[in-house]
Amino acid sequence: MTPSTSTTSTTTTAGAEPRTVFYACKYTPVELLAGFGSQARLAEADVASFDHADALAHPNLCGYGKGLIERLLAPDVHEVVLVTCCDVIKRCYDVLRRQGKLDFVYLLDLPHKRGEAERRLFRARLEDLAEAYAAYSGETFDVGRALAACKPPVPRTDERVTLLGAHATSALLRTVSRDVGIAVENATCTNRQLLVSPPPQLARVAAAGNCEACEAPAAPGQVDVGRTGGTLDTFLDWYAEALLDQMPCMRMDDVSQRKALRDERGELGVVYHTMKFCDYYGFEYAEATQDGGTPMVKIETDGTSQSAGQLKTRLAAFGETLRGVSRARSAAGERRERGGAKDGASYVLGIDSGSTSTDAVVMDAERNLVATVILPTGAKATEAAARARQEVLERAHLGEEDLALEVSTGYGREAIPGMDASITEITCHARGAHYLMPEVKTVIDIGGQDSKVIHLDEAGDVINFVMNDKCAAGTGRFLEMMARTLEMPLADFCAKGLEWKHDVKISSMCTVFAESEVVSLVANDTPTPDIIHGLDESVARKTATLAKRVSAEPPYLMTGGVANNEGVVKALEAVLGAPVATHPDSQLCGAIGAALLGLESLA
Amino acid sequence: MARRASRGTRGREPLDLYGDVVGAALARRPSLARDALRAGFDFTAWRVSHLPDKDAPLSSQHAAELFFTRLTGALDHPESTAVTSLFLPTEVFQALGASPVCAEALAGTCAGAHAEAPFVAAAEGAGIPETYCSYHKVLMGMATSGVLPPPRMLASCSVACDANNLTFKTLADLWGVPHFYVDVPYEVTRASALYVAEQFRGLARAAEECFGHRLDEAELSACVARSQRTLALFDRSVDLRRGRYLAGDLMGHLMGAVNAQLALGTTAEQLVATQLCCDLKAAPVSRGLDLVWVHTAPFFLAPLTSHLDRNPDAQVIATDMELCCPGGEAPWFGPDQPFEAMAERIVRNCYNGPAERRVARVRELARRSGADGVVVFSHWGCKHTAGASQIIRAELEEAGFPTLVLDGDGGERQNNMDGQMRTRFEAFLELLRTRREERDDS
Repeated sequence: MTPSTSTTSTTTTAGAEPRTVFYACKYTPVELLAGFGSQARLAEADVASFDHADALAHPNLCGYGKGLIERLLAPDVHEVVLVTCCDVIKRCYDVLRRQGKLDFVYLLDLPHKRGEAERRLFRARLEDLAEAYAAYSGETFDVGRALAACKPPVPRTDERVTLLGAHATSALLRTVSRDVGIAVENATCTNRQLLVSPPPQLARVAAAGNCEACEAPAAPGQVDVGRTGGTLDTFLDWYAEALLDQMPCMRMDDVSQRKALRDERGELGVVYHTMKFCDYYGFEYAEATQDGGTPMVKIETDGTSQSAGQLKTRLAAFGETLRGVSRARSAAGERRERGGAKDGASYVLGIDSGSTSTDAVVMDAERNLVATVILPTGAKATEAAARARQEVLERAHLGEEDLALEVSTGYGREAIPGMDASITEITCHARGAHYLMPEVKTVIDIGGQDSKVIHLDEAGDVINFVMNDKCAAGTGRFLEMMARTLEMPLADFCAKGLEWKHDVKISSMCTVFAESEVVSLVANDTPTPDIIHGLDESVARKTATLAKRVSAEPPYLMTGGVANNEGVVKALEAVLGAPVATHPDSQLCGAIGAALLGLESLA
Repeated sequence: MARRASRGTRGREPLDLYGDVVGAALARRPSLARDALRAGFDFTAWRVSHLPDKDAPLSSQHAAELFFTRLTGALDHPESTAVTSLFLPTEVFQALGASPVCAEALAGTCAGAHAEAPFVAAAEGAGIPETYCSYHKVLMGMATSGVLPPPRMLASCSVACDANNLTFKTLADLWGVPHFYVDVPYEVTRASALYVAEQFRGLARAAEECFGHRLDEAELSACVARSQRTLALFDRSVDLRRGRYLAGDLMGHLMGAVNAQLALGTTAEQLVATQLCCDLKAAPVSRGLDLVWVHTAPFFLAPLTSHLDRNPDAQVIATDMELCCPGGEAPWFGPDQPFEAMAERIVRNCYNGPAERRVARVRELARRSGADGVVVFSHWGCKHTAGASQIIRAELEEAGFPTLVLDGDGGERQNNMDGQMRTRFEAFLELLRTRREERDDS
């Protein structure tokens, strides 16, 4: 037995359900295992918690690896074949072996290179796996079963977005497809596809190998792997190369072929999936942002479907930028047909339902702001929206029938009843910022829940945008939490930060980390203004990193609640090396954009 | 009773000013930052050569001189430098008269000079994930910001970690210099070594082309012979460490780890190993705690250095990074087969293969050196060690060695939580002292 194998029992169950081998990597030889009558099943690491993985391995592994440990320790898993994809998967294998709960667990060493020597090496390793599996299962290899498992390539769809990057679960694929609103092609490692079909002579070998007259029993003391008629050898001669020559994943040495996954005919855009502690795809994403060809949006998950809920805004906004804003256009006509608006009604209502405040504006046909309202969102977003709608109409001295269109945006946009259309805050912010400051090229919006940087063209349309990752670092919430740690009201916190004298560096990694640093600095009697300045700088550095990803350029306009924090604005100016403008109505940016897009749709 | 650290939490330190100067220079003109760094490194190289730390054992003084001389040499002469991954055997470059330098040496020295933060920021600004190994981030930051001039060549191998598969490819694109990659199979067999040996022949051909002269195979064999003698000496030192106090420090262990790879095969490194054995024979009896350290040593963290640097109460007696290569076992290949011998060394490195190999090596080091306990330093971004950390802990504790898994960052000081680290480390030392007292009483 090699160090890469561990078996605890040999259980042949003739006539029972086929054995199920769980796997994680597209380089797993599922067709070879099918030759032994086993079905291979992709282990989706979509789990409820990482408790076991955190305890048995370490929290600082990628969510996929941790989820995989959890999944493969579930009671329905008995056989596992893993591949030496990356450090995390190698450690998953170590953990699984040490737990000793599986009947068969094998680690297949995948070469990084794909030359002649590596093909020979890989073939030998596949042969070793075949022998180990035959010894464990008592099954013999049948080339016919292996060939039947070779699936023909799936034809590509025109008008598609490509999901690239780290392992995508089926739940993530559904989310992307639904929220972007365009067919999705899975180009992550969960889409396994041999690029070549078996040659015809293999089918002939299959026919010969299945001939019982030709079969001879294995020599005494030897495992009958299924070499009768040379079928396994002939199969492996073809298969090792076919398996190795798939579209390379990022851990392979030569990944130049992967460029074909972007910017191909029929591809409208790329959704790039990353995970914390998955460096391979972080690097490819960084490279792809420099190409600047195909529109691209980055999403980050921890591999579970719980984290997918947070993606809606960026995916929907991405869909809007790809399709153009067409929903509002059709909504205007529908409203008139419903009789919701009187003839000649020309006002448009825009509501931005954010996590901290709900903002509403009424705009006339000449693009003038007639009335505006800003209310705290409170516990119920729909109630705040209803109040904002009522108040802004009262201030404008208008009735519902005077409105040609009502458009919502923001986190709560979908939940507000009675709206004609909802558009993401990305598109709305861009248009609103263009209204407030027509020369603006980059909007930096730091709100309570998230931060985003939007790169605009001259017309106020989105060229590209980026949002912060899942964590709160670099958002208004981060600063609120830090103000709480320093036991200061937010307004005092903002003002005090301007009195700083000495540089204090705070790690930009994570809110929890930063809080710990702040506590240490307080214990060390570091002056409070210096600590606040360090925090402001931390937010600025994080935001500047986002800005670089979308090739942001001045003039900059900062919007969102954090635009009121002069310390952050100054820190941003220092990091970006250019002035960062603010606007007294910047908090209304999203609502103004919603109203403007509504007006445009009436034209 | 644990010795108190000099300060409770990290505030400004005098060297922070130097880091600020480098950071400010980097923002204005990368060449200024390069000059500032070079001046700092050159000064340190001069200091360790001419004004060595007389309290340190001679072997540590030699090791420091070797480390800084080679580092500054590599920075001063990029035309004869190869940037390599840490564990890649480098005798080919030595035989060609070239200087290898690695991320850990550059980033470790930057961290020692309090100048790592601007390079981490530069790398993250260029899109490098923030969860990436900070040693590699600093190297990438130095490269993308233009501070580190392009070397003649890049060479890396798949051991120990994934970062080697990414950093070097990206740098090759950025700098437009040749990169040679050595794929090391996971299985520790002679067949694996033979496969790697062929790649080393390819590496030699690529290096000949890059540096413009032929490789003298006799010289290569001589280098490999020195490597094998040096490893045997280091292996002998493991038994000599038992019960001895050597007055070392964590910085010495980082330099030792870098020298043990990048300078292996040189006469100077063989002298360090010889001197180490002499120092150990003459060393006083250790009355404090002896720890085996797993993975990199964060030599700049006061919560650790206050207890472990030149302190008779507690010392790091061995690290698995300095002693990762077999030295005591009979080699498969001799110096007459230099490519095979280098290949054997990387294949049999305890960082290759399943975690149980690393466990076995750490257990062996702990047993032979008579350690009181083991610290696994889970360096930020290193999934290779993080994923194995609990396995190492469980196995070592089963073998009778209390083990602490300590999370931190060996390359970026800002990415450490001093308060938590101090509490955990001091509690562990207290536990070991209690255990030893109980053992002595019984």
